[in-house]
Amino acid sequence: MLIKMENITKTYGSLVANDSVNLTLDKGEILAVVGENGAGKSTLMKILYGLEPMNSGRILINDREVEFRSPHDAIAHGIGMVQQHFMLFPPFTAAENIVYAHEPRKGMVFDRRKARQRTLELSRQYGLRIDPDAKVSQCPVGLQQRIEILKVLHQGVDIIIFDEPSAVLTPQEIDDLLQTIRDLKAKGKSIILITHKLNEVMATADRVMVMRSGSVVKEMACKDTSIDEMSFLMVGHQIRPREIEAVEKGRRCLDVRDLVLMGQGSKRVLDSLSLHVDEGEIVGIAGVSGNGQSELIQCITGLRRLSSGQVFIGDADVTNLSASQIRQSGCACIPEDRYLWGSASEATLAENCIMAHYNGNEKLMKRGIFRSKGVAEYAETMMKAYDVRYLSDRQEMHELSGGNAQKLIVAREMFQDSPLLLAAEPTRGIDIGAIDYIHGKLLDKRASGGSVLLISSELSEILELSDRIYVIYEGRIAGEFTRQSAKAEQIGLLMVGGKLND
Amino acid sequence: MNSLFVAAVINSTLRYSTPILFAALGSLYCTRCNVFNVALEGQMLAASFAAIVTNYFTHSVILSTMAAIGAGMLVALLVAVFQISLGVRDMVVGTSINLLVQSATSFLMQVIFGTRGTIQGNGMVALPKLSLKIGSLSFVNRMFESLSILDYLGYITAILVFLYLFKTVRGFHLRSVGISFEAAKSLGVKSQRIQFNSILVSGALCALGGLAQCMGMVTVFVENMTAGRGFIAMGAASMAQAHPIAAIFSSLFFGATISMSKTLQTYINSYFTESFPYFCTVIAMTIFGIIMIIRNKRKGIQKSA
Amino acid sequence: MTDSSIKALQRKRMLQNILSPVIAILGGLMLGALIMLAVGTSPLYAYRQMFAKSFLDPYYLAQTLVRSAPIMLSGVGAAVAWRAGYINLGMQGQMCVGGLCATLVALFFPVKTPLTTILCFAVGMAAGALWALIPTFLDYKFNASLIITTLMLNYATNYITDYFVAYPIKDTAGDGLAFQSPQIDAAMRFFRFSKKNAMNIGVFVAIAAVVLIYFILKKTRFGYESKITGLNRKFASYGGIKSAKMMFTTMGLSGAICGFAACIEIFGARYRYVNAMFTTTGYAWTGLMAMLIAKYNPLLTLVYSIFLAGLSIGGQALQRAVGLPMQISDIIQCCITLFVSVKIVLDFTVFSKGGKA
Repeated sequence: MLIKMENITKTYGSLVANDSVNLTLDKGEILAVVGENGAGKSTLMKILYGLEPMNSGRILINDREVEFRSPHDAIAHGIGMVQQHFMLFPPFTAAENIVYAHEPRKGMVFDRRKARQRTLELSRQYGLRIDPDAKVSQCPVGLQQRIEILKVLHQGVDIIIFDEPSAVLTPQEIDDLLQTIRDLKAKGKSIILITHKLNEVMATADRVMVMRSGSVVKEMACKDTSIDEMSFLMVGHQIRPREIEAVEKGRRCLDVRDLVLMGQGSKRVLDSLSLHVDEGEIVGIAGVSGNGQSELIQCITGLRRLSSGQVFIGDADVTNLSASQIRQSGCACIPEDRYLWGSASEATLAENCIMAHYNGNEKLMKRGIFRSKGVAEYAETMMKAYDVRYLSDRQEMHELSGGNAQKLIVAREMFQDSPLLLAAEPTRGIDIGAIDYIHGKLLDKRASGGSVLLISSELSEILELSDRIYVIYEGRIAGEFTRQSAKAEQIGLLMVGGKLND
Repeated sequence: MNSLFVAAVINSTLRYSTPILFAALGSLYCTRCNVFNVALEGQMLAASFAAIVTNYFTHSVILSTMAAIGAGMLVALLVAVFQISLGVRDMVVGTSINLLVQSATSFLMQVIFGTRGTIQGNGMVALPKLSLKIGSLSFVNRMFESLSILDYLGYITAILVFLYLFKTVRGFHLRSVGISFEAAKSLGVKSQRIQFNSILVSGALCALGGLAQCMGMVTVFVENMTAGRGFIAMGAASMAQAHPIAAIFSSLFFGATISMSKTLQTYINSYFTESFPYFCTVIAMTIFGIIMIIRNKRKGIQKSA
Repeated sequence: MTDSSIKALQRKRMLQNILSPVIAILGGLMLGALIMLAVGTSPLYAYRQMFAKSFLDPYYLAQTLVRSAPIMLSGVGAAVAWRAGYINLGMQGQMCVGGLCATLVALFFPVKTPLTTILCFAVGMAAGALWALIPTFLDYKFNASLIITTLMLNYATNYITDYFVAYPIKDTAGDGLAFQSPQIDAAMRFFRFSKKNAMNIGVFVAIAAVVLIYFILKKTRFGYESKITGLNRKFASYGGIKSAKMMFTTMGLSGAICGFAACIEIFGARYRYVNAMFTTTGYAWTGLMAMLIAKYNPLLTLVYSIFLAGLSIGGQALQRAVGLPMQISDIIQCCITLFVSVKIVLDFTVFSKGGKA
């Protein structure tokens, strides 16, 4: 037994992230750890990699008990990790990143020539092609991951943890990655693969461990199981597709015409992008993050000036109006990042609730002066209606859990009761219950004749909720589907710049 | 205009730029690992004070230098503990520690010497002087006439800082912390320790700046003698975009403004000349900003071509 | 949402808001005591003296209050900008310019009535605001760091304003040795309650102004929008708040309040512009410390300003009595600021996850 983790327990406050979890890994095997967001798989790996301390339990490597205070200790024991969020330094070169923290040196001096050589050597040895002098900032995501893998290999580890490695990759890159993982196994490495994509598990792993809400549900050999069984175990019940009623479409609510946004130089971040949303319709925008979705939202909501093109809300031309004017024209927005854009974490809940609500609302503000009682009541109604769990409206935002914070933001934007709602990543990183709740609210909005533009990097979310789907790729609309015509494979292909055959 | 007069102005420019150069190096050293050190001023002033007190009693350059570095690093330690270990906001730490050093030096001055204002004394020694002589070229000789060794050491230090930051492994790690604290930490580099230590180094560098100020041209301590030099140095470092070699030139620029203000006193009311370097800093920061905006725009155009 | 967790929340707030400054003040005083011991002064005697000669004796209490007025105003002035995320370090320069301009109007405006005082205040505030808006504009338009430019202007401004009292408007009456302007007309001065001390209605005007600013920051749209801008500029712009407008209004208001502070000092206490009157006294910096201890809260800034003013008046008395340098007060004041800004780390995870327990 190469690694043995016994009775690992980890809590964050009242939240039990890992509840006496056991894990074993043999030499030369690929173990997949699967589970939904928040099932505790990442936490378990952070413990194994020395990034998080555990509350109780022990870790044995080659039958000897070890204690990891930092990733340094883990690496010294031969455990490396390819993290989901790349730990790279964009201004540095590939070679510099690969040897980072284990640099070849001449005395005190960083031996960059040797670093280059070592990079080329590793690249040849494992068949992972890379230009050692390329700046990471100029490498596409797939290449960046390759740098991450080479970095781990340079550290000379035998055990490699992959944390959701395919989350940011295109299907072609995913194929390469899975091949790489199999090659690494063939070269004698042992691998732990964290994922929630079950086809990847079937394609690579020897054994699979299913986790749900902090505990191991079942462990089995891959050849003895199926995707259906694993997904049943992951979710804990059969996934029942939501019944979505048909809603009569109304008038045009959002109309974006030939939107162009110039980036640095002549690069077009958004390129002649046209789309529209009608009343009673949820329109999804599918795409890999970073293909212009953020910029699109910022252009529609007035946070960025368009280079050319027009935006209409209802009949009103709102092109390049200010953010507050656009809000008044009837556009609310659930921003993509709840802490970066969507709230002030050191402000109170009430202060977060009333943002953009006080204009012309006499209950909240009269002649520029707030009415405390009105504000408190308003915040309470809003939070109660959306089941935000809080203690007092004078609590600060950062004291709420992620899911509750998101519900507050959704509540705030829903309470605008605007004809149009932009919902960007409305359920990112929150637990299943909250996701379900927010999805329900979006559908309610649609049922009452509202329009929703849903932007999400979770294709399943788009497919489940949308009446129509646009695929965005490099700032352009690459394809349009209706609920009936939408096929995950075709959308997936367009998302990465592929072409449909017919 | 008399050419020797020009040489003399250059000479004083070189002298006035030294304290700024050292402090600017201290500032950019911190900037490189993403620490905003506002207490440069306090670090310099504490060092000047410690140097002169030691000088007064021991008449020893070496002991004064050690005292200066010790005091500068002690203040830096205070900054590091509050800013890095305890996580207090940089502006709060910086402004309170600058004020603290200012009042502490006046306090100690009265306790030790029973006076306010200045510490001067017979027998205090200055830093060793070095006149670079090239044959009988009177212009060049006047330019480098009796500069203190720190005036030369400033440039060497800048080069050393450059080599450290860009050629050594430790410097590489330091810069990586500045790019991404979290990434460096997760890869086993002690990010917080590096930030802590960099403040100490900036303390030592600022101390040399303070030493150059109080034992370079004249040997004296005046209450609050740094008079905003720490902030000018911050401007110099930001104009150099945290590059040590570029900092030489931006520091020389600010040295020149101070030198000009002293020279112009003969012709213009000193109230105006004294304010000259400060106005110049504001103007220089503005012009630098304009240049950067134009450059960024042009970069965009170049990329399109 | 149990009662016990609400109680825990209230306990935490209590600790943060009340206990932390109390501990910091005690810590600062303890540190001061250690320094006193080191230089051979009895701390007990010294603190008793300091307290008696700042708060207990009416003469000194008047001095303390008069001194606290410009401190609380400049502190609140700084707070208005800082809490919106714009670091104004140029309060001193803004006071100099505001004070000088008000004095100029007071000296040269042909009509000398109490109403002229109002005009002087308006001019002083406008000048202070303008002096804050110049670096604001340079930062907004050209990214010239506000921190550096505002600080630089302190030094530059002080030389320029001192030039005026050294040359064009120097008071030639008497021996003519002092660098100061002539006195302003008696009709324009603030009312004093007694001939014995400097206590004047300026102090109450200052307090009223601070309360008004408290109300503005706490209750109005401007207060809300500037607070949110300071906490998260992206969130503010997403909510439709114009950040440029916030930058100029908060900085302008900050400068205007500093100009106001200078006027209070001139029309209530000094009756003239005196060479280096705002640098040697250190009002702006003490005010900055007071508002940092108060965490931007104007009412608390008022309280701490009176405390810190008393500390320095007491320190001055102590220097006269036993020769202990009065900078001890400044040292204590800086230490309190440092101590209070250290977050008390408390493990209240029970509700940190939003009442899931």
